[in-house]
Amino acid sequence: MWLDEADGFAEIFKGYLPYYLLVALPIFIIMSPVNPVAASHEFSVYRMQHYDLHTVPHGCRSASFNLEGRSLTSWSTSRHCVVARVQDISIEQFMEIRSKAGALLLVLPKNDTVLTPEEKEHIQLLEMAMIQQEVNAPVYFARWTPDFEDILRDLQHSFITDDKSGTALEAMLNTVSSNGYQIVVSASTPQKLDSKPVTIHGKLAGRSGSAQTIVIAAHYDSSAVVPELSQGADSNASGAVAVLELARIFSRLYSTAAVRGGPSILFALTSIGHSLNYFSAKKWLEEQLDSTDASLLQDVSFVMCLDSISSTPSMTMHVSKPPKPGGAAHSIKSRLGVSINHKKINLADELLAWQHERFSIRRMTAFTLSSLQSHKDSSRSSVLDTPSEVAIKNLVQNIATTARALASHVYNLTDEVNDEDAALYDDALGVDEASVRLWYNYLSSQARAPQIITTTAPNAGVTGTLERALSRYMDVTVSAHAVDKREPEFTLYGATKSVLFVYSVKPAVFDLILTLAIVAYLSVVYFAIQLFPRFYEEYAKLVTGKAKVH
Amino acid sequence: MTLYHFGNCLALVYAPYHMAYKFSGISEYATFSKCVYAGGLYIFTQLCKMLLLATFFPDSDNSHITGEYNVFLEILKATVDFADLFGLYLALNSVPGKGHAKILTSAIGWASAEVLVTRSVLLWVGARGSEFDWRYVRACAESNVALVSAGASAALVWLWTRSDLPRRLAPGVLALLLLQPYRALLEDALGAALALSAWALLALRAAHAAALALASLAMYAVLAQQIGI
Repeated sequence: MWLDEADGFAEIFKGYLPYYLLVALPIFIIMSPVNPVAASHEFSVYRMQHYDLHTVPHGCRSASFNLEGRSLTSWSTSRHCVVARVQDISIEQFMEIRSKAGALLLVLPKNDTVLTPEEKEHIQLLEMAMIQQEVNAPVYFARWTPDFEDILRDLQHSFITDDKSGTALEAMLNTVSSNGYQIVVSASTPQKLDSKPVTIHGKLAGRSGSAQTIVIAAHYDSSAVVPELSQGADSNASGAVAVLELARIFSRLYSTAAVRGGPSILFALTSIGHSLNYFSAKKWLEEQLDSTDASLLQDVSFVMCLDSISSTPSMTMHVSKPPKPGGAAHSIKSRLGVSINHKKINLADELLAWQHERFSIRRMTAFTLSSLQSHKDSSRSSVLDTPSEVAIKNLVQNIATTARALASHVYNLTDEVNDEDAALYDDALGVDEASVRLWYNYLSSQARAPQIITTTAPNAGVTGTLERALSRYMDVTVSAHAVDKREPEFTLYGATKSVLFVYSVKPAVFDLILTLAIVAYLSVVYFAIQLFPRFYEEYAKLVTGKAKVH
Repeated sequence: MTLYHFGNCLALVYAPYHMAYKFSGISEYATFSKCVYAGGLYIFTQLCKMLLLATFFPDSDNSHITGEYNVFLEILKATVDFADLFGLYLALNSVPGKGHAKILTSAIGWASAEVLVTRSVLLWVGARGSEFDWRYVRACAESNVALVSAGASAALVWLWTRSDLPRRLAPGVLALLLLQPYRALLEDALGAALALSAWALLALRAAHAAALALASLAMYAVLAQQIGI
């Protein structure tokens, strides 16, 4: 039988086995994949903003890292990735991390309700501080999950560092018991995005062709420290919803010739707002005013920009030049009954304050209606700008106030004398709350950062939806704007989201300790086998009661 | 974690088998090919068992999804493990020599094949990854326990094949042999009932294997005394 003959073969096999291994093992190692095991934790993470404005870099400049995770208190070198809750990190700590740490991973709060107003304000200020300058280390944000809570707790309570433990034994025990985390994001280097900002506009023609034009404009993008998580409910889903609702109301009024108002009304939705200096409005104005066929914006009565109008039920009129008594802006102001906030345009600033300044620069009467008192309000660019029921109520009220003021200006009514007229008036100008709610919820459920909405095709995504919505009421034109090739006004970078792997690891010393333990165990086994015959003799004697016969 | 960690695990698995082969004296019989033969029989037995399970038992993947645990079905499945005892019997028959050499050779061959088939891929894939998990170290330690219990099983099968087995030992051997396929199931059940941690379960398995090994060693000693080996 072949197996009996195989003894010689077996000898050869036995003799050469170690040498075979010397060759085979490296081949195995080369052949097997680099990272053969899936991590125990995988998370979706969102990268911080990354853009250049007028070639000045802002935000996080890199995307991939492979570093050991540490807590806010225990990190020390650039080989550590700091993992923290966003509400725990102070601005000073961020500045230190920015200059020294290898990477930063911030976990967003579970939801808004767990935050105190102070914490919210702190997060908004932190966001502003983060976006001010460039950060060379990768900065990622993650949504809260229970797994993250565990990792955060582990990182806060376990110290793998040697200096934290008293004795050598304690240090050894620490290395065995503690969990380390290796945090890995493999993403390609951020590429420049091909950004195509657009402006959607449509016009309701007034009674006579030569009459004046009223422009109602809002930007519909959002801005926050994390592009993928910028819901921008107040800034500026509320403004965009208001433009849509006003378009609906006035298209009904303008549809019958008898009640058509004098001036034409032009509705404009711009795709880039305050975060990138109202680039869409700027380009759109250039195109409309500087082209040979400049009929659209020939005789503008006033430009009304709507920005962040859902945080309170009242509004402030922001102007760059106090309205003259008797002018159109003054008429609207008195009809709205709002206070005026006057702020001169400062061209030396990096960013313009409000969208109306783009129009004021082109010598138009322009103002912005906003619930915010100041353009510096940090809630305009925050990840915490999320939709709420109260905001919808405020928004509906503000739209109603605006519609009423606008209508009374268009039809030049002084005041409503009798109740019947007022009822008719209310009916004609009624705000459809369901539609406002729908649009508000839709827009604030979408991440509308410039990185996202200006890189999709113009007829897709949020832009496409808004275009179709506006085209139900009037003829709509979508104009795409190009960024200057040589001196780009802004540059956006990709890699907005990625997958984060968290590996639980042990320090290198741990393997040495494990080796010692295994060697100790194996020597016990060795002696057990060596002593086995003697043990068997004793045992047999015990079992059979007789000594073994030889 | 690293290749070094993989080396650690490998040492924990391989060294006890190597020592059992080298220092138990069976290597003097030049029975390496017999070990390989026993290993081959192990693989063949497993294939037969898989064929049986696939043919006569409902798809076990579905029960994983629904999360149901059918005790009766599990017991029936464990019954198929009687094939292991038959495989061991064949292995014992093919090895020439004295009783202890037969037992050790087939047990080592059998257990080595088991480790090779069930653990090597897991270790190669798992222990080398950057993720650290105690379960690889545990799996390695478990394979040592498997060697002991394979030895005990082989001893029991050998005892049963002896026609000169003392009458008073026969019931004990038969009872332990009949219990053999259900041992893993019993261990799991006990672990689940006591809500044992993975390490405690490993200790339970080790204690169980040691107890079984001592019991079969005692019966072997009695028989050896009688026939004078």
